[in-house]
Amino acid sequence: MTDKILIAFKSIGKNKNRNFLTMLGIIIGIASVICILAIGDGFAHTVTKGMGNHNTRNKVILQWEPTSDYNTDGGFTQNDASVLEKVPGVDHVKLASSIAEAGAKVSYKTKTASIGLNKQPKNLKLVKGTYFTMTGASNGIYISEDLAHKLFKENAINRLISVDGTIFVVQGIYHISNMNYRPDAYVSKTIFKQLFASQISRDQAKLYVQPDANKKQVGKTAVKRMKAMGEQKQTGKYSVSNPDAISKQFTRILNDITYFIAFIAGISLLIAGIGVMNVMYITVSERRKEIGIRRAFGATSSDIRNQFLIESVVLCIIGGVIGIILGYILVSIINAFLPFKADITSYAIILSLSVSTAVGLIFGFIPSNKAAKSELVGLLKEE
Amino acid sequence: MLKVTDVKKAYGKFTVLEDINLEVADGEFLAIMGPSGSGKSTLINILGLLDQSYTGEYLLEDKNYQNVSDNELSRIRGDQLGFVFQNFKLLTTYNVYENIEIPLIYSKKAQNNKQELIADVIDKVGLTGKEKNRPSELSGGQQQRVAIARAIVNRPKLIIADEPTGALDSKTSKEIMDIFTKLNKAGTTVIMVTHDSEVAEYAMRTVYIRDGHLYNDEKSVKNHD
Repeated sequence: MTDKILIAFKSIGKNKNRNFLTMLGIIIGIASVICILAIGDGFAHTVTKGMGNHNTRNKVILQWEPTSDYNTDGGFTQNDASVLEKVPGVDHVKLASSIAEAGAKVSYKTKTASIGLNKQPKNLKLVKGTYFTMTGASNGIYISEDLAHKLFKENAINRLISVDGTIFVVQGIYHISNMNYRPDAYVSKTIFKQLFASQISRDQAKLYVQPDANKKQVGKTAVKRMKAMGEQKQTGKYSVSNPDAISKQFTRILNDITYFIAFIAGISLLIAGIGVMNVMYITVSERRKEIGIRRAFGATSSDIRNQFLIESVVLCIIGGVIGIILGYILVSIINAFLPFKADITSYAIILSLSVSTAVGLIFGFIPSNKAAKSELVGLLKEE
Repeated sequence: MLKVTDVKKAYGKFTVLEDINLEVADGEFLAIMGPSGSGKSTLINILGLLDQSYTGEYLLEDKNYQNVSDNELSRIRGDQLGFVFQNFKLLTTYNVYENIEIPLIYSKKAQNNKQELIADVIDKVGLTGKEKNRPSELSGGQQQRVAIARAIVNRPKLIIADEPTGALDSKTSKEIMDIFTKLNKAGTTVIMVTHDSEVAEYAMRTVYIRDGHLYNDEKSVKNHD
């Protein structure tokens, strides 16, 4: 076996250029496989981790959706919450909103704009001004670059603007990149609670369940009760929200992309395989003299078949290894543009090497068999 | 060693060998002489178990190999026979050592003492120090020595040489024939095909082949004409 692997390396090394060109298909195919798997795995990993944060294990989320697009006000009320708390299995209920920002009208002199607004986050990178956490009933406001351009010709800092009739002082301006969603303005936590929070419809009720409760049953009963007693039952629909739904849809899109790239990788590997077959045919016919000599000195036809099969597999594995390295480089580059981290798992590497071996075996078989079946006397006439 | 009875070989209507009868004793050195196209290569292909499509009977060490498996034939070729060809048939990308190693790769006989066996035959053919050389760096005579070393590394009972001096000058031919004589004296049976009567003189016995017929002496060849 070692002998045959050495022979394979030797003969591959003899025709480096030819064999490298043959390997290109495998290199591209395997590199694509590595990229697909890395992106897929990275995404799956992020989603699972994200779901861990949601911690849906001990709660059921009820959703209220308005029946009409024009009537978005509404959702769960405190009365609804007390009804829900009486559902068997429910420990306590928290009302929340899927939309975390309030709508408001902002004006400066004659200019007005409709904006989305939220309480300030812990950290925010500003392009102008200094960022600090505003305490108490501070009337500071941070606005986006876009909003600043809409309202002011030049410097916006320290100007007074009116938001739904309340006056605020512009403290700073931040940039909204394409990658991150942010509302148009931030105010202090206290002010937000006092003036705007009531605007946000509480369209979610989080039912924290007791450890031994059947979540499915809890969800069903809760929806039933809301349909009967919910204060907004006329204007909207109640349902159990499935936090996986969004990621499922995302996964489906990603899967479609994966199938597409896998299809390309498959075609690339098929063409690569045909290339391997071709080069093995050439090798076999170039080495008829060698086959004859080996046969005359004791090699069986299966020794010859194995020798060429090993050569074809070694060729493909070398291609596969280069493909994995190329894939690694590509994944590092792709990672710079992805919102999540694509990672290469050992499973991906094992799969790539198995695919390479399979290509070598499948496409090397016919030429190797041809070598093994050649008429001995004819082979020994070769010079 | 071997016994050939009424062996006949034809390609379609064209008969290459006709009623060949030949017996070779253990330790004999036999020369087969004949012009090109007389059928001598075909005959030694049969004797060397390289060609199995013939009629008649051929016994090697009292055993008929005509219907045995390819694996069995390969094993016998590797373990009991050694071939030397006119054009050396060395692998040009392999060095001397690697060329001589080939029969050992496929033999189960010698797995532990490969290096010793190879060093021993390199010494026997007088090529010590040339182990790492490629065939292209050697003279014709040296290349044929490598081929002989390769043929004897597995200690075969029978060496079959097809025009071993055909590509060599007379001085080198003599050196090569001396090696064969030495091997024969050490007990190896040698069958050699040649068209050179000077070379044939090294053999104990010479048979002649002409148009597919085998004759025991030159006179009967002439009578046939």
